[in-house]
Amino acid sequence: MKLIVRIFALSLVVTGAVASAHIANASQPMAGAKVSALPIPSCPPDGSTSCGIGSQNSSN
Amino acid sequence: MSSYSVVDLLTLIELTTCVVALVVMFYRRQIGQFKPLALFLLVRISSIAICFPLMSMGGKQISSVLAYKIYFYVYWGSYALEAILGFWIIYVIYNLAMAPLKGLQRLGMLMFRWAAGIAVAIAVTMAFGPHVTYSKFIMRAVTQLQQTQSVLTLCMLLFVCLAIRPMGLSYRSKIFGVSLGLGVAAATDLVMAAWITHFRTIYSLSSIISGSAICLTLVIWTGYFAVPEPRRRMIILPTTSPFLRWNQISLALGDEPGFVALGEITPDMFAPAEVEVMRRASMKMNYPVAN
Repeated sequence: MKLIVRIFALSLVVTGAVASAHIANASQPMAGAKVSALPIPSCPPDGSTSCGIGSQNSSN
Repeated sequence: MSSYSVVDLLTLIELTTCVVALVVMFYRRQIGQFKPLALFLLVRISSIAICFPLMSMGGKQISSVLAYKIYFYVYWGSYALEAILGFWIIYVIYNLAMAPLKGLQRLGMLMFRWAAGIAVAIAVTMAFGPHVTYSKFIMRAVTQLQQTQSVLTLCMLLFVCLAIRPMGLSYRSKIFGVSLGLGVAAATDLVMAAWITHFRTIYSLSSIISGSAICLTLVIWTGYFAVPEPRRRMIILPTTSPFLRWNQISLALGDEPGFVALGEITPDMFAPAEVEVMRRASMKMNYPVAN
């Protein structure tokens, strides 16, 4: 059990290291998002678009 | 089942798990020890409580443009707050893990404060750039801050993993549990930022992946807070241990210093009483008292 927990923790660290290396080598800045089920608002708030926020209501 | 329904369901599960984790923390009287984690959960609950109704009300009770505007600011505002609270959680975990070695704890905390301050300054500076709008600036600054916090979290997880035995902790300790949960969220955050970069619509696959990851994080925290942890073992270090030596050095750092006189010293630099004490001491050294 201890070994599984340790391997899991170390795999998280390795995954994070690979991902951060990928971010550092990216040519343009990457857009992040909150680790949450909430949808990501990536459109500007001062525009005329609602970024699809009411789309699920209109499709129902 | 459509992606809308899955996202809504995951949001509700996330909200419920957040509330359960907070209640378990309160019941186990752990809020005082892990105050930033409790605040993190409170911010998360508040942001979902505001954002979730907006998603269903948009286009019905209120205009979808207004709903999106409120949603945008609540989402990114709470994201920034959570990133800052994440730094605080790491700080508390380090503080608790290093509690037996006060000197190293003090030195590490000093270094952490500087690192966190520089990270915040870099995050804000890097968000500036040509043709950057107000909304893009917010998104970039918060993203950069969160990514720095994620990297620091994973470093902390690695440290806790490696130093768990020398610090007298076990894999059932709350310190490890909180680090592990935060590590899941940090790794997911970095993976999302690296590979899932373009979100064409507000409802995307990334919401489902993120939602599942945060639910796993919350389940880990709830589990660790619900189960009583074993007592911390006594730490026995050899006298030659570098841990002990560095701890002693760190403890001495910042103490009031003593002073050493260098160079030529003449008797007129001393007070008459000091000269008298030295004269008597030198007399005793020349003529030791016989038993």
